[in-house]
Amino acid sequence: MPLDTSTYALSLLRLDGRRWNELRRIHAQISTQAAADGSAYLEMGNTKVICTVSGPSEGRRGQGQGGEGGKARIEVEVNLAGFAGVERKKRARGDRRIAELQHTLTQAYTSTLLTHLYPHSTILITLHILSLDGSLLAATLNAATLALIDAGIPMSNYLVACTAGSTSFEESDNADPLLDLNGQEEQELPFVTVGILGDGDKVSVLVMESRVQMSRLETMLVVAVDGCKRVREILDGVVREHGRNMVEGAVG
Amino acid sequence: MPREAEPSLNEREFIHQALREQTRIDGRALDAFRELRLQFGDERGVVDVRLGKTRVIARISAEVVAPYPDRKFDGIFTITTEFSPMASPAFEVGRYTSDEIILSRILEKAIRRSSAIDTESLCIIAGLKCFFIRADVHIIDHDGGLVDASCIAVMTALQHFRRPDVSVEGENVTIYSLREREPVPLSMLHHPLCITFSYYDSGEIVLVDANRLEEQTREGEVIIAMNMHGEVCQISKFGGTPVDALVLLNCTNVALKKVQTITKFIQRQLEEDMRKRDVGGLMAELSAENER
Repeated sequence: MPLDTSTYALSLLRLDGRRWNELRRIHAQISTQAAADGSAYLEMGNTKVICTVSGPSEGRRGQGQGGEGGKARIEVEVNLAGFAGVERKKRARGDRRIAELQHTLTQAYTSTLLTHLYPHSTILITLHILSLDGSLLAATLNAATLALIDAGIPMSNYLVACTAGSTSFEESDNADPLLDLNGQEEQELPFVTVGILGDGDKVSVLVMESRVQMSRLETMLVVAVDGCKRVREILDGVVREHGRNMVEGAVG
Repeated sequence: MPREAEPSLNEREFIHQALREQTRIDGRALDAFRELRLQFGDERGVVDVRLGKTRVIARISAEVVAPYPDRKFDGIFTITTEFSPMASPAFEVGRYTSDEIILSRILEKAIRRSSAIDTESLCIIAGLKCFFIRADVHIIDHDGGLVDASCIAVMTALQHFRRPDVSVEGENVTIYSLREREPVPLSMLHHPLCITFSYYDSGEIVLVDANRLEEQTREGEVIIAMNMHGEVCQISKFGGTPVDALVLLNCTNVALKKVQTITKFIQRQLEEDMRKRDVGGLMAELSAENER
């Protein structure tokens, strides 16, 4: 049942008390799993994702090693935990939504990673979604970026993602854009997920699943791109902090 | 598994070079669609769509079932896609490729999630009986532009389809056969269509309706679903080379124009088909004379 967000117009505060341009709390850790080549844990509000990367390594038997044209092949596995949502749900293995998510991640990282450096190899990205409260695609992209950095796989730049929505579907009345929607807002409002490569405004991933007037799209895009830049700063801070700790640990 | 033959380096270079000179290998303009042909079947709700050499058949069928317990007031509408090995050697029966998953997901998002069909109108008795509308999409020949062609096929077939009329008296439902009562069209809320943009040179060159060879050599794609009123129903850009946000906004403007022309074309074809079916007009229907 959709929730009522009509109070927004009165107080200009969203359901969880944020203003329109505020991100949820992002908390990230790198190298959380000892066994993996690279790993990361990321929280965007109540969306919690754990990501491990293994490889570049020899691909699994019978699948043919490496991708096309002497490039590494990227495989993505997404596991949505049964307890991730509000109700416990058993999801079928061949869920198309998850398959689409895996496809998006594979495509996005195939063009971001320097795959030509690892011919005949496979890079496996495994994601576990522990808790789900909106911005699923954005959180998985951010977590995978951190894990790939931890694994030391060369990539052209940070691929960071963020969502943006709009308070109305209609063209007529004036609507405000909203940054970083949570699960309740996603159910009710139109939103886009934007993935940006680097700190310019080069859009690598753009997914929108709701119906909205095309004039709304521009403001939503601008807000999302701006949000991505802030997410990038936060993730960059996490990576640098981790690097400093490693150097100090090695010296001390 | 057989893999599709990839274009050679020479072919790639040739196509790119030609595109930089604003020329496509089949001589179309960069923003031109291939010739679209619609052929309706004898039965209602069967459409054969040809977009250049791509050929897709869509068929709509209806049956009466019990609705889902959590959606008592809604009918059921599903879209299934079938890739036949006839279309391309890369397709196998029973094995889901990522192409197929993406096609069915995009059709689902563009048509079902954007509520093109009013599913509430398919309800007969809340919680007990409703119509189950099923759209089967068969890919017969694959020369690029599958998403666009399939979307046109499903939308046209839905508008062409007529479901049997029903009447409800208390708990009793009567479903009238085609002879007893004129079947009724489905109630549609809007008519979304998908337009695929292929880009080269990080968004410098943008094409609509790429054929198979252009699809194989492109850097990335953006699929936009819109209706003729300028509502965007779905956008998908799954990775690929990054492009400027402005290029993407431009694509939506181009998509709107394309959607408007295609929607009008479909409307005209449907009207023409109506006229063909309606031989003799109202007078023939009212006449008491019969063939003996």
